[in-house]
Amino acid sequence: MAKKVIKLVKLQVPAGKATPAPPVGPALGQAGVNIMAFVKDFNERTAAQAGLIIPVEITVFEDRSFTFITKTPPAPILLKKAAGIETASGEPNKKKVAKVSRDKVREIAEAKMKDLNAATVEAAMRMIEGTARSMGIDIVD
Amino acid sequence: MKWAEISILTTHEAAETVANIFHELGSSGVVIEDPELVNSYLASGVWDYSDILQESNTEVVTVKAYLPVDHQLDDKLRSFEEEFQQISSRGMDKGRGEMQCREVQEEDWASSWKAFFHPIKVGQYIVIKPSWEEYVATANDLVIELDPGMAFGTGTHQTTAMCCRALEETVKAGDLIFDVGTGSGILSIAAAKLGAASVQAVDLDHGAVRVAKENVAINQVENIVQVGQGDLLTGVTGQADIVIANIIADVVIKLLVDIPVRLKDEGIFIASGIIAERLSDVAAAMIEYNLIVEKVIEEGGWVAIIARKGGR
Repeated sequence: MAKKVIKLVKLQVPAGKATPAPPVGPALGQAGVNIMAFVKDFNERTAAQAGLIIPVEITVFEDRSFTFITKTPPAPILLKKAAGIETASGEPNKKKVAKVSRDKVREIAEAKMKDLNAATVEAAMRMIEGTARSMGIDIVD
Repeated sequence: MKWAEISILTTHEAAETVANIFHELGSSGVVIEDPELVNSYLASGVWDYSDILQESNTEVVTVKAYLPVDHQLDDKLRSFEEEFQQISSRGMDKGRGEMQCREVQEEDWASSWKAFFHPIKVGQYIVIKPSWEEYVATANDLVIELDPGMAFGTGTHQTTAMCCRALEETVKAGDLIFDVGTGSGILSIAAAKLGAASVQAVDLDHGAVRVAKENVAINQVENIVQVGQGDLLTGVTGQADIVIANIIADVVIKLLVDIPVRLKDEGIFIASGIIAERLSDVAAAMIEYNLIVEKVIEEGGWVAIIARKGGR
């Protein structure tokens, strides 16, 4: 049955730990989506990635039913994991907090390729490197 | 409790970094409003149809986060501001950076969405009722309890309502019924409540199969309705008195190949999910498979067709 789409909502929420509290509640409540059904399903599907933040794109239909897809974690989250740190540098220009190898950057770029809109792995790597710099993470060969 | 909703206008390049600053300040997630994403969905054709318009300005991405309004909020906003300014110090375009902050009252978000759903009478007898609503049924009412959830119908869509009415007109006590693309299971449950002896429901989507089974159990028709995973009519056994398919025109046409084998002579095929413009295509294809169109119901640009299989 063909269904009319009324809204697209994109969120980033912790894997396996979504709750009806903000941002999920206000973002989906306005759209009339069964929030507990979303929370339950999202947590089930992402439980294995616990500890990471997961982008999720929710399509809401006219009858307020919905569907969603999850994406690879955001680059800053993958970079922090690779660098073994919990927080980025508040002053990336002065204070470096960690180092990540170029190989690791390539790995992240490859994982993120399809979500980044990048034509080549090299282009995706440049984006990831830019993100790393903005967080005070140095790239080393 | 109150929440501060903080919106900031930024760029594609910086959106994930900005979101990360919010995560580190304790926001348990962010909302990202990205016009380019909307455009890519529209262009990809994954949506059946929508009134959402193509966005012309795709440069600005809005990142929205929620923080509790408490004694730490001012400090958090200050450190957000500082870290946000730092983004550009290493060559990243952070964009316009306009920030808006408004207070949002705590609500019972887990249940506020329920305000959108009430019992609805979709046919002469069939009433669809969400589990949390009270409904005083009259003697003739057939009440189906169904809660909205993932991507399946709740009976409020015209095609589902038309199928319910078509079932009311055609189901006889003791019938064997095949429900193709059952989704929430609503049509199978309706057929069971209307007196069918056995209903075999099929869906390609594993999630739908799970939800349909739950709904069948809630409505206490599990002795009549069997739900299985499969493509079109794969997995069903026997010849049905009625085959119902509320899918889309092209899938209905594809399904016709199986109808001569799977539907009894003089049996009924109910097809819906068809936009009015495709009616003639589906009707023409039905003739090829010895189906005679007996009735067409139309509502809101959608049609449901009731056809009867000719004898040999």
